[in-house]
Amino acid sequence: MKHIVKAAAIAGAMFASGASAQEMVFTSWGGTTQDAQDKNWAQPFSAATGTSIVMDGPTDYGKIKAMVEAGATTWDVVDVEFDWAIQAGQQGLLEPLDFSVIDKATLDPRFVSDYAVGSFYYSFVLGYNPANFAGDKPSTLADLFDTAKFPGKRTFYKWSAPGVIEAALLADGVTPEELYPLDLDRAFAKLDTIKGDIIWWEGGAQSQQLLASGEAPIGFFWNGRIAALQADGMDVGVSWDQNITAADALVVPKGTKNKDAAMAYIAHATSAEAQAAFATETGYAPINTGSAALMDEAIRATLPDQQTAVQINADMSWWAEHRDEIGNRWYAWQAQ
Amino acid sequence: MSITLAPKRRGSGLGLAMPAILLLLAFFVVPVALLLLRSVTEPEPGLHNYRTLIGSATYAKVFFNTFFVAGVVTLVTVLVAFPVAWALAIMPQRWASVIFAVILLSMWTNLLARTYAWMVLLQQTGLINRSLMALGIIDQPLQLTNNLIGVTIGMVYIMLPFMILPLLGVIRKIDPAILQAAALCGASKGQALFRVLLPLAAPGIASGGLMVFVMSLGYFVTPALLGGTANMMLAEMIAQQVQSLVNWGMGGAAAFILLIVTLGLYAVQLRFFEPKPEVR
Repeated sequence: MKHIVKAAAIAGAMFASGASAQEMVFTSWGGTTQDAQDKNWAQPFSAATGTSIVMDGPTDYGKIKAMVEAGATTWDVVDVEFDWAIQAGQQGLLEPLDFSVIDKATLDPRFVSDYAVGSFYYSFVLGYNPANFAGDKPSTLADLFDTAKFPGKRTFYKWSAPGVIEAALLADGVTPEELYPLDLDRAFAKLDTIKGDIIWWEGGAQSQQLLASGEAPIGFFWNGRIAALQADGMDVGVSWDQNITAADALVVPKGTKNKDAAMAYIAHATSAEAQAAFATETGYAPINTGSAALMDEAIRATLPDQQTAVQINADMSWWAEHRDEIGNRWYAWQAQ
Repeated sequence: MSITLAPKRRGSGLGLAMPAILLLLAFFVVPVALLLLRSVTEPEPGLHNYRTLIGSATYAKVFFNTFFVAGVVTLVTVLVAFPVAWALAIMPQRWASVIFAVILLSMWTNLLARTYAWMVLLQQTGLINRSLMALGIIDQPLQLTNNLIGVTIGMVYIMLPFMILPLLGVIRKIDPAILQAAALCGASKGQALFRVLLPLAAPGIASGGLMVFVMSLGYFVTPALLGGTANMMLAEMIAQQVQSLVNWGMGGAAAFILLIVTLGLYAVQLRFFEPKPEVR
């Protein structure tokens, strides 16, 4: 028994000394997105500063809250959904960002708040498998909800988040100007009309599988996942009409012991170069206004920031305020 | 589980069990207790989380789904596992070892990988539907995923080893001469099965069935991937509450109810089905 205790003490001491060297933890959602963040943000940052970055994941809001409340924050920078970032900032779960380190002036103001800056932004777009639609091709959100004209299963994002509710309202004829505050009754009534035809996707890889296999020949996807299928040579139809933007955010959970390193890392990750490199690899749009000039023309053309004319911005502040209310209703509706 | 109890020896062996007990205490009992505490303290002290859970039609449906799916899975698992266990018990030892290894092998494969494999097989454009359509047996693809069928197939497959192992333990101990004796006494095959074999195997069915049922109650990955949201089970609801809505109170309350039900079932098992210590 004594030996075990001693061994544990030694291991503990080794771990502690390891942590006191410059090292920080970056947590994101895993998969190809986090791989791209590692390659284009973390590794160059480590090479330039000597601060090594440990990758962790997937992002888990329950865990962040538990860490902060227990005073044991081990995640230094986390990639989260933007509406959650706003809500968490209001609830005191996050450190305010240090804008003397992070250059606010170069960032797209849509994705900057006191507690969060954009990580990248993306659009929900209508995607379809042309093999399943011989005649007319779906092109509007109304088509997405029209099972008579475009029969077959459709796939939507499973979790309560900005995007699908907006799409239901727009498909039902609500104009972008009067979209907010969201009319939830109307949105759920619209969703009810196709409920039996919905297959939910939980993650990007699953959404690609459903579309490529024809299991769900039409759906509402993150644009980067469609771009990746196209890059693989698959024939995938996409309509940007009324594409809905949402963003991920970089935040620093309250109580981190590596606050300076965390701020420096965010400053690096949101720099024009890092954002351009990440966007090139993933098909998601940069939130640094200087990135576009650094990117290849052909790739730039596929990004959501080229589609602003037909674009609708999900209202993150409105979502932050109503997140719990919508979430509870959303999951209850799904289970019915 | 059907453990043959050895005659009690002096010296309780508690010391040897200490590392395991401490580990469980630190990494299981304490965190669970803390979670339960949150269910009555968040967002404010009181039992309102439990009131919400019990008072809502949605959660009632989720509770019903949980027990219904676990029940269906247990039943189908017993029906599939019993003939397998019986065959394993009576076939030549060499063949039995090979088949046994195959069954165990499936347990060592990653759960997520196995569930995704079923998705690929079962979906409308999957191997099973395509083959059936190519053979002209069906015209329209069968809906085998995103519903109860998908969940049942996926979960039965995962639970089978947990049913076969205890069943095999019990069946191997049944003396084949007993069945011969039954036949000699004029019992038909059906009578030998229902009045001799099944009663003797009952402890194995009960312990395996309970294990499968309890494991199924808390299952998360397979129902989430192979079932639709209409079959949502409790574990998934807990994950939504904690991960997406950051509502530890509700998640904790649901987890506590699940724990109470599970412990209650275990108590029933101990009371009625645990085999009596063998007299040697």
